[in-house]
Amino acid sequence: MSSFYIEERDFGTFVNTLAQNTRVVGPVAKRQKFVFGEIGSVEELRLDYDITILPPKKVFFPPKQVIARFDADSVEGTIAPVDTVLLGVHPYDVRGIDMTDFLFRERNEDWDYLAQREATTIVASNVQKVAPRAFWASMIDTNEPKGHDAYLTKLDGGYVFETRTPKGEALLARGAFRDATGPEVAAAQSVNADALGQCQEQLPYTSAEIAKTIRESFSNEELWDELSKDCFSCGSCNTVCPTCYCFDMRDVWNLDQKSGTRTRYWDACLTKEFAAISMPGGGHENFREHHQTRFRHRFMRKGAYLNEKLGSPACTGCGRCSMACTVDIADPVRVITTIMEWS
Amino acid sequence: MPSESHDCACAERESLFVPREAKILHAHAPTSTEKHFTLQFADGSPLIFEPGQILEVGVMGYGEIPIGIASSPTRTHTFEIVVRTVGRVSTAINNKNIGDSLWVRGPLGHGFDVDALRGHDVLVVAGGIGICPTRSLIQYIADQRDDFGRFVLFYGARDPLQLLFPEDRGVWRATHGIEYHETVDRADISWTGNVGVITTLFRNTHLSEDTRVIICGPPVMFEFVIRELDQAGIKRENIYVDLERRMKCGVGKCGHCQINNKYCCIDGPVFTYAEIHELEEAI
Ligand SMILES: Cc1cc2nc3c(=O)[nH]c(=O)nc-3n(C[C@H](O)[C@H](O)[C@H](O)COP(=O)(O)OP(=O)(O)OC[C@H]3O[C@@H](n4cnc5c(N)ncnc54)[C@H](O)[C@@H]3O)c2cc1C
Ligand code: SF4
Ligand code: SF4
Ligand code: FES
Repeated sequence: MSSFYIEERDFGTFVNTLAQNTRVVGPVAKRQKFVFGEIGSVEELRLDYDITILPPKKVFFPPKQVIARFDADSVEGTIAPVDTVLLGVHPYDVRGIDMTDFLFRERNEDWDYLAQREATTIVASNVQKVAPRAFWASMIDTNEPKGHDAYLTKLDGGYVFETRTPKGEALLARGAFRDATGPEVAAAQSVNADALGQCQEQLPYTSAEIAKTIRESFSNEELWDELSKDCFSCGSCNTVCPTCYCFDMRDVWNLDQKSGTRTRYWDACLTKEFAAISMPGGGHENFREHHQTRFRHRFMRKGAYLNEKLGSPACTGCGRCSMACTVDIADPVRVITTIMEWS
Repeated sequence: MPSESHDCACAERESLFVPREAKILHAHAPTSTEKHFTLQFADGSPLIFEPGQILEVGVMGYGEIPIGIASSPTRTHTFEIVVRTVGRVSTAINNKNIGDSLWVRGPLGHGFDVDALRGHDVLVVAGGIGICPTRSLIQYIADQRDDFGRFVLFYGARDPLQLLFPEDRGVWRATHGIEYHETVDRADISWTGNVGVITTLFRNTHLSEDTRVIICGPPVMFEFVIRELDQAGIKRENIYVDLERRMKCGVGKCGHCQINNKYCCIDGPVFTYAEIHELEEAI
């Protein structure tokens, strides 16, 4: 909508005031790494982060989310969104949120996710330091993905703050913003354009090419054996991925053994029992018995099935899976390039 | 840390995952491993569904599992399920008795397209527990018999003790409107009927090419039955398969039941064979 400017010191006051009145979640340091966490004051906020261990999806889709509470004779849903400002989300993670918004909304609206999503204002921020395995420049083709309410770009001495929605605009009242000048807006654009050039890896194929070739590779046993041969089905690549959203549902008793919760937990399609069903007499049937078929399923989902729905692969190019995989076989650039070039 | 709760309409929106209470009106155990329940929602509301749809049925504290609806949709104030004791949740369900409650979500998914069957010959092939979800369709057709052509029903179980619905079978056998054939993999001394896998029933039954076929049973059964149907010249789009997959959410989110780009819980569990025969991992 419009561009504003806030001085560095006023930005501190803005964040502090915000944090006193609302829940603010943003990048904070955790030992040598970064995570999205609740922020009490601006000193904790680390907009110079390269990447967080887990993506911000956890704000709407927590690793462990209570869906219902029960006691001996009643069950109650627990949807209770909390007004939140999610600050400092990199553009590739905004894209990830935009994809999960679509997926939790399509066909059956999942209010256990959407209620918190709607109660959240997202302030994106420019990438000041590009993570070593990132390739988002070739995945999101723009620094301006849908799904955020305002965009913050760091310049020397202050920030350009661009509002995108009325929710983003509402934040203006909480700080000392002034209209941005033409040169400030131009400087912000060039900072963002520079970041695009800093991703070391890239995946130079169109979404349609990727969908078609990955689908065609389904029956190529040799290819999938080769790609997945070192996989030990740990599911780490799923866990760190901003667009993975599979889950398990489990009931958990309280200590009284009469009441408890129905809770959903993140789940991972790479783990062995994900598609197994129990048969009478203690047997099992597993529709994806081998690690090759599970590894293939992950890439079919991202590269073909969800790609066909979303119009682009369900991959933002964040590079988290590349770093999380102990045997370094999860990197989508490597996997997709191998599929594209296999002959 | 201050946290204002959010007071827009979305806070009142309903969760897809909160079940409703259903009272057990009747319960009996037809075999050593199965229990047959007649249920009614505690608030008196009806269950409106199409044959072939499923429910997520649970006991709070133990979890929930997908179960086919085993009664006819023409009787909506009560509904029936048959649960086989397999693991944790099914055991907890089968420990419940008359007067207890089960917690139910649904109906979920996509059932049999009864309008597409109307006016045609129908063959139902049910193996093992597969008779339960198809019973809603069998009853439906039996109730509206004149709307359908010839009606053949194949039912197979491991041994005579595993055959479910004894009263129904008596009716099916005696009703001239239904050509009922049953078989067991292993006979006992009392058994005088057919012995062998379900495909052996095709030997003595001639099917018209126009027959609409419904298949529900263990995963291994499909391939062999479809081979017989191919030989009988039955088209893929006239074959309906009721598929089983691991399920957690039942609403197309959790990913567990995915087959290629389809979700068994919302695109199925009933698919036409034409829809899925080219989907890798389907059968
Ligand atoms: C469409 C459909 C219709 C079904 N209809 C019936 C029916 O009418 N009667 C009946 O007795 N059974 C039916 N089943 C099978 C029934 O759902 C499983 O036997 C049951 O889930 C086993 O759960 P458990 O907790 O007892 O076993 P566990 O071994 O403890 O299983 C753990 C969890 O894995 C999942 N799971 C395991 N096996 C299956 C499975 N076969 N299908 C789906 N999820 C599974 C469930 O979430 C379960 O809670 C149906 C399954 C499907 C998919
Ligand atoms: S697949 Fe890997 S690179 Fe792509 S979004 Fe998921 S974690 Fe990031
Ligand atoms: S690809 Fe790597 S991270 Fe993913 S399950 Fe296999 S070993 Fe684990
Ligand atoms: S059961 Fe969750 S997607 Fe089908």
